[in-house]
Amino acid sequence: MTSTTTRPPRYLGDNPRFLAGLFMSPAVIYIIALVGFPFVLAIIYAFTDISTGNPDLEFVGWATFRRVLADPVFRGALWNTFLFAVLANVLVVILATALAEILIRDFKGKWLVRFLVLLPWVAPVSLATITWLWTLDSIFSPIDWVLRQVGVITENVYWLGRPGTAMTSVIAVQAWRIVPLAAVIVLAGLIAIPKDINDAVAVDGAGFWRKMFQVTIPLLAPIIAVAVLFGVILTISDMSVVYVLTRGGPTNSTQVLSTWAFIKGIEGGALAQGAAVALFLLPVLIGITAVVLRLARRREVL
Amino acid sequence: MLPRKSPFFVTRREFLYLSGAAALAAACGTGSSATTTVPTTLAGTGAGTTAAPVEGGPEMSFVEPAEQLSGELKILLWSHFVPAHDAWFDPFAQEWGEMVGVDVTVDHIAVADVPAAIASEIQSGQPEHDLMQYIAVLSQHEPSVVDMADVVQEAESRYGTMLDLTRRSSFNPNTEKYYAYAPSWVPDPGDYRRSLWEGVGFPDGPASYDDLLQGGSEIFASEGVQLGIGMSQEIDSNMALRGLLWSFGAGIQDENENVILNSDATIAAIEYMNELFAGAMTPEVFAWNAASNNQGLNSGELSYILNSISAYRTAQDEGLEVADDIYFTPALAGPETAVVASHVMYNWIVPDAPDVNVSAAKEFLLHYTENLAPVAWNSKLYDFPAFPDRVPDLTGWIDSDPFGSNPADKLKVLNTSLDWATNIGHPGPANPAIGQIFGESIIPVMFAEAAQGAKTPQQAMEDAEAQINAIFDDWRGQGLVGGG
Repeated sequence: MTSTTTRPPRYLGDNPRFLAGLFMSPAVIYIIALVGFPFVLAIIYAFTDISTGNPDLEFVGWATFRRVLADPVFRGALWNTFLFAVLANVLVVILATALAEILIRDFKGKWLVRFLVLLPWVAPVSLATITWLWTLDSIFSPIDWVLRQVGVITENVYWLGRPGTAMTSVIAVQAWRIVPLAAVIVLAGLIAIPKDINDAVAVDGAGFWRKMFQVTIPLLAPIIAVAVLFGVILTISDMSVVYVLTRGGPTNSTQVLSTWAFIKGIEGGALAQGAAVALFLLPVLIGITAVVLRLARRREVL
Repeated sequence: MLPRKSPFFVTRREFLYLSGAAALAAACGTGSSATTTVPTTLAGTGAGTTAAPVEGGPEMSFVEPAEQLSGELKILLWSHFVPAHDAWFDPFAQEWGEMVGVDVTVDHIAVADVPAAIASEIQSGQPEHDLMQYIAVLSQHEPSVVDMADVVQEAESRYGTMLDLTRRSSFNPNTEKYYAYAPSWVPDPGDYRRSLWEGVGFPDGPASYDDLLQGGSEIFASEGVQLGIGMSQEIDSNMALRGLLWSFGAGIQDENENVILNSDATIAAIEYMNELFAGAMTPEVFAWNAASNNQGLNSGELSYILNSISAYRTAQDEGLEVADDIYFTPALAGPETAVVASHVMYNWIVPDAPDVNVSAAKEFLLHYTENLAPVAWNSKLYDFPAFPDRVPDLTGWIDSDPFGSNPADKLKVLNTSLDWATNIGHPGPANPAIGQIFGESIIPVMFAEAAQGAKTPQQAMEDAEAQINAIFDDWRGQGLVGGG
């Protein structure tokens, strides 16, 4: 019987364990510094009465949470957050799947179309949202102008001035922003479908819709789930679209948890309550992530 | 077996060495370039620096500091609505620094970003700036800032008594601390289109809320031009609706900081606003941001707004025809009184933290107060002094606007502004509870919910009162608000 011994690496740079740690460290440091530390800080803050002007930490137990839960604006923001995330991402899935179906085909100017489709994603969110703010302006909206010219409306819609149209507007803008990312993810999934499956479907004589609903979408389900996961997280955790377009108005009808946390904690000065509101995002995000990943895994098993 | 080594092949170890060397070189490069970069200081830090300072005007005056100053003074302030102010302010501060031996840095940021910047600097415990300014009260920062009582005392000994309006926006009577220094403020007159109001029998504009309802409704019906009293979650709506409440005899708190929102007067104010909305406005007033009423007035889409003179100055600067048609009214009279909140209330604070150059910050504020005349001039009469004796020519400038008004006495109503301007906590102090209620736009939401028909005036008032009571309780718990 012969025994083999592994000679330890002569240099540190040849040590796989050292290298693994080294290469992982930037990500770990990033997550600890920019995600973990603020997260822990938010938990601590939420159990105190800290304000923007008073950094002293006096622990008050669950009082801050009770105070936040009693606030009707918070309860409205919680409901709006669900509505906002669900409706925006239903739109995202439909539009992204349609876009991916278009982008996978060969046609003239395909690169230009792909470039244009990606533009909303690469543009800074605040800049893109300001463009929408002007587009949806109560007085000067070009959408209203066109609708008036073709006789659809006689007076302006006041997109951001009525609760219903304001919510519709923020959902549409958020969907517009996320669709490119989702489309690229779905496109990657479409490309990965083996060609022989498509050939078999064609030989069997399945039409476009049958192929779409009985072959393509079932195969794409795990990929679409990933797109939904990204979309929901981006929608819930981002405050830019709502804050720039409506600041949560009119009458708090578009207020979501992220904007309310900012308004309460920073603009209102009640930092502890802002932190508590922000923490409510966590179980919401964990719950949605768990459900989506479970669904995706189930589809993979099937 | 390892592949044959080519000139381009590197082992992992070599790769790491190379990467490390590259990173080191990059770091050194950054460091060396930083030493040659001109520091971001006075010139070119704000939007205002793209504008030229205003020609003429009073000369800067200088009083020797009480003590020898040294070190750095970093100032954070908003990008002024009148860009010429910043073009003047930055070299003004630098010149003072050169005279007293202090290296001055001025950072202007957009007004919307100032609250978050101040909050984060104070929370850090190691603020980047020694002196920070905002255009609304900063009472919530009281525990973390230096008491400015000595600055106020010195300024009053030199320049006379400070206005009660600014004192109530910088002093907490419960703790007897000046959490800020408020050397200047901005009035908030009504801006109206004379051609439109002449047509409905009000050539001098509306004088009361009754006039506003009658004239505004007639203009809307005949010309299709609406009124511009916002009910949105932004600063101008907050200001306008507080003025309405006070003029109807209502308010958020009394002079002893007890919540008094629940009253018949509040109901009357809400019902009035419902009527005004139905007769003279559209749902766009629910969607406004801070710039919307300015834009609406200058584009000819609004007949009356409640604002400072900044919209008018913009119309002048851009050569808009509407500029000559814009005139001004004092606060509108309601059933009880005629008051409005100041449009801007400057609060300067000095963080109470190690390494903050407190002496230089306070001396600079005294120097700034010494020069309130150039401040008013270079802001094109936007900024008003908290020490009126420091700007003896202000009345004359307003009576005959040196900045091209047609007619020249168009701004004369501003000479009466102290009779009808007050602070946002009126009749009490501008405490942190009032600041939070302002930040959360509880008053505009109350009016808007009733105007939209989502709630009765009674329900809207009671819901707002519940939120306001909770906020007052929170701050009373911290000892910063009285009453209760």
